[in-house]
Amino acid sequence: MPRRPRIAAVVTVYHKYAHAQHIVDRFLDGYGWNGRHHRPDMDLVSLYVDQVGENDLSRDRAERFPSMTIYPTIRETLTQGGDSLAVDGVLLIGEHGDYETNNKGQRLFPRYEFFREIVDVFRDSDRSVPVFNDKHLSWKWEWCREMVDTAREMGFPMLAGSSLPVTWRTPSLDMPYGARVTEAVCVASGGIDGGDIHALETLQCMVERREGGESGVRWVQAYRGDAFWAAHHEGVWSLELFESALSRSHTLTPQRAGFNNPFPTIDEMKRLVEDPIAYVYEHHDSLRSSMILMNGLVQDFNFAANLDGQDAPLSTQMYLPMPPARTTLANFFSPQVHHIERLFATGEPSYPVERTLLTSGLVIAGVDSLAQEQTKIDTPHLEIAYVAPEESTYWRT
Amino acid sequence: MKPQHIKPQRIAVVTTIYRYLSHAQHMVDRFLIGYPHEGRWHRPNAEIVSLYVDQRPEGDQSEDRAREFGFKVFPTIAEAVGCDVDGILLIGEHGEYPKNDMSQVLYPRYEFFKECVRVFEEQGRAVPIYNDKHLSYSFEKAREMVDDAHRLGFPLLAGSSLPVTWRLPDLELPLGCDLEDALMVGVGGPDPMDYHALEAMQCMVERRRGGEVGVRSVQLIDGDEVWRAGEDGRWSHTLLESAFSRSDTLCGFSVDDGRPQDLLGSGEVFRLVENPSAYFIEYNDGFRATLLMLNGAVRDYCFAAQVRGAPDPVSTQFLLTPVPNVTYSACLVSKIEEMFTTGRAPYPAERTLLVSGMLESCLISRAQGYERIETPHLRVEYTAPAEPQHARS
Repeated sequence: MPRRPRIAAVVTVYHKYAHAQHIVDRFLDGYGWNGRHHRPDMDLVSLYVDQVGENDLSRDRAERFPSMTIYPTIRETLTQGGDSLAVDGVLLIGEHGDYETNNKGQRLFPRYEFFREIVDVFRDSDRSVPVFNDKHLSWKWEWCREMVDTAREMGFPMLAGSSLPVTWRTPSLDMPYGARVTEAVCVASGGIDGGDIHALETLQCMVERREGGESGVRWVQAYRGDAFWAAHHEGVWSLELFESALSRSHTLTPQRAGFNNPFPTIDEMKRLVEDPIAYVYEHHDSLRSSMILMNGLVQDFNFAANLDGQDAPLSTQMYLPMPPARTTLANFFSPQVHHIERLFATGEPSYPVERTLLTSGLVIAGVDSLAQEQTKIDTPHLEIAYVAPEESTYWRT
Repeated sequence: MKPQHIKPQRIAVVTTIYRYLSHAQHMVDRFLIGYPHEGRWHRPNAEIVSLYVDQRPEGDQSEDRAREFGFKVFPTIAEAVGCDVDGILLIGEHGEYPKNDMSQVLYPRYEFFKECVRVFEEQGRAVPIYNDKHLSYSFEKAREMVDDAHRLGFPLLAGSSLPVTWRLPDLELPLGCDLEDALMVGVGGPDPMDYHALEAMQCMVERRRGGEVGVRSVQLIDGDEVWRAGEDGRWSHTLLESAFSRSDTLCGFSVDDGRPQDLLGSGEVFRLVENPSAYFIEYNDGFRATLLMLNGAVRDYCFAAQVRGAPDPVSTQFLLTPVPNVTYSACLVSKIEEMFTTGRAPYPAERTLLVSGMLESCLISRAQGYERIETPHLRVEYTAPAEPQHARS
């Protein structure tokens, strides 16, 4: 019988509702999957936690699961205290925790730094194993690029990104493979270097399936505040798609007292959304995508696109059963962990890391555009072409 | 824009109360201001022309709505439905009404309905009626309502929004499948929440081979007997695990620290649920299904079933989208609109009739010391629609 794969987790913090808690707990406790309580066929044996606060749960988890050891360094976590790499897969979860924010609003999570320490062990051990990187790769473009290049050079598979591409959809549909997409929007909630990456991944997991595959992005322009509303009026993004996306929301804030689900007028939207943000970008095949954050109006992630030859937009919501208001479990991490398990078991990423390389670059370009008075930023470095898998990877079973 | 070439349908509303977040408010409002449907903001080609409201508690919105949207509030049902309407929304949910000793709220749906029928008979013309939730707390009354609809030949749609809301995953049992066992998990109190759960279960199991043939007997049990019945195999542990695997709201440790749980395998469910209830339904074709009301374990509505010969159970969650939008009611309103437009109920009112009777008999079982009750009157037969009716596009 083959040995069960051993997994190491390298995380920033481990408290209730931190990404590490959601992901690592699913390896330890199992999770609902395909209509049963599924327990991964692999063992999470070692854990590094960068910041241990009063609300830390990692010590509780280590106590409940003596098969998991907490180590004081990333190196020891990967070597299980020995001389060389002793695990078969690495979870890199650098989300949440007390880290600095730069003057552009980016949280300086040490994903790149952790990644470097991980690959140092790989190099010293003459062996490398699959790595999952949660959310975007890094806050600095050169580091994002280096992470992906390093994985390729050293020949280890890498999976990355948000859970938005893999969660439930209402309705349960995918972009038809090879569709001729003429424009796409995502209307979502969240802020800079937070909601934006999730919304960009929402967009990207759909449009990357278009005819010709992903061709990369030529330029990015951000809009905020009055400039956002001016762009909205000028039709920088399609009003029809914007409204279609809003019509998929389950969380439209009612502006009128006494009405529970009205469609907002433009004046109501302006009152509700204090800080609207858009990143508009053009792909190399001329597709235009718009990521729109409407905090105050919606609390979910909604996608709409126009397809050549179709009368009505294709639209859906990437559904997040988000605790604590609506649920107790952030089960959108379940399909993500499913794909991570598959990565560790087979060495095959379910979707290319280039998607997240591109969305990481889009976040950075969007944030740069905002910092540079919302000018259009040329992005020759984002000429990242890749082909999406034809098989759908979102949650539907 | 409303399509101009077709005359808008004239709709009357007969309701108990019209107040923020009452069923009348969120359903009737959708006819007034539109609702999200298939990726656009749909505006029904219909106008509310008249309204009867039985009670006007603090927060009543009926007069405000009438003024803003140009319809009239009438003091009697006969006047509200008598003004040449094309359809009626009968929404007898919420409001102050007495309860009987089985915890059933005695909403006057039957009385409202009979008033509508009286007008139909007087005018020699009947129009489609949507009856919100179960037809009546009494099967006898519910039976009469459905019989009236058949006798006068008007379409009748009824029931809960659970059968038509989104499902996670988008599961529909194949029509005519060989169903071996089914289990529904629900939460909340008796009548109404058990009603919603029973109807969600029924919209799944009615698709079994041979169609719906009605219910032979029911039994309701409470407390630790429910766990013993599980050990004895009266309901399936496998199906409960499967239903739990669809829940986003496991309680206990998941509330404490966010962890997923094998609630049944760990035994936590037995600790968390202080007073479980099991509603055992035995159908006339020998098929058995069980509703477990498990307050304390979960907060959502999940279903699991075993198809004979299949390696694993199938299961899903009926998604109750968040307050205040409660977009699941938009799913139901689109079905009502479909009936008004086509003159045909998208699914038979017999489903709701049967569930109304199942619930009443279960509550009688409880009142009579948890006895198994023979239900010869529940020989309600019908065929489920071939096409799925829940939100999926």
